[in-house]
Amino acid sequence: MKIKSHPMASAEMDMTPMMDVTFQLIAFFMMVTNFEQTQADERVRLAADALAKPPEVKLAHELVINIGYRRNKEGNKVDDQPFVFVPGEELRIPEFRNRLKQEAQLYQVKAVKLEDVTVVIRADADVPAGQVQEFIQMSQEAKFEKFALKAKQSAD
Amino acid sequence: MKFKQQDPANLQQQTTPMIDVTFQLLTFFMMTLKISSPEGDFNINMPPAGAGAAAVDQLFPDIKVRLIANANGGLANLRLGERSLGNDALCFQRLNDEILQLIGQPGAARVKELEVEIDADYNLHFENVVKTIGACSGRLAKDGKTVIRYLEKIKFAQPRKNPDV
Repeated sequence: MKIKSHPMASAEMDMTPMMDVTFQLIAFFMMVTNFEQTQADERVRLAADALAKPPEVKLAHELVINIGYRRNKEGNKVDDQPFVFVPGEELRIPEFRNRLKQEAQLYQVKAVKLEDVTVVIRADADVPAGQVQEFIQMSQEAKFEKFALKAKQSAD
Repeated sequence: MKFKQQDPANLQQQTTPMIDVTFQLLTFFMMTLKISSPEGDFNINMPPAGAGAAAVDQLFPDIKVRLIANANGGLANLRLGERSLGNDALCFQRLNDEILQLIGQPGAARVKELEVEIDADYNLHFENVVKTIGACSGRLAKDGKTVIRYLEKIKFAQPRKNPDV
């Protein structure tokens, strides 16, 4: 008996729905990814307040300072004294005095007036208020005039 | 001349490279995603270091808020002028209410001249200062988005001495 051979049906899977979902996922991640290079340090646990709203106008010149604690994996403090976190370095607050003066000189070299520069302080919720005030005083000695305190936006 | 007819199934575009790139993009975005809560700013007005004569021309005296710390850095007492507002969870709400009573009409021209001076103990946790600034700055309207501004000028008193030194 002669068996008639049928042409083989295509074994390829239909990729269209998978591609649709994948593109939707890419679109989602692109929307939520923040490409802006923020200078925020994740070790700093900011205080929260309902009135802490992101600024409507981006600051022209900002010097972001992160003040926080060394913490272990559980999030507990491993050192009682706070540090100023700069990329690759951890300095005690009084040790940052010279760095502030250097930053001020750098702005002056770039012909940026120091009264146009805002020192943005991201201080941990547990840092003693006196140390933050001392840091502000040090900044004033370096001729910085404008300050902004960062806080996390809370729902209540 | 005889033309060889091509099988229409072979005319399909190769999608494998596109899928490869798409998955690589997806992996990249998934790996680089950082979920962080939004942050806001509180602007503060600090008199220049060493200047002591700034208060001479002031029409209205500063509203003084005193924050007293306990030994652990927690809030022991919150004071508005001479009035104690306690240290419980509602003390900042009470401060907010008191400030509203003091200013009367938020946004009035007179209110813009008023200034708050926050005088905190050295070892007080900074979160209490942030909450105080928030309570003095205003409140959220019923829609939960609009901010009703109370006081915009906020400054710190001279830092108190470190009790451990």
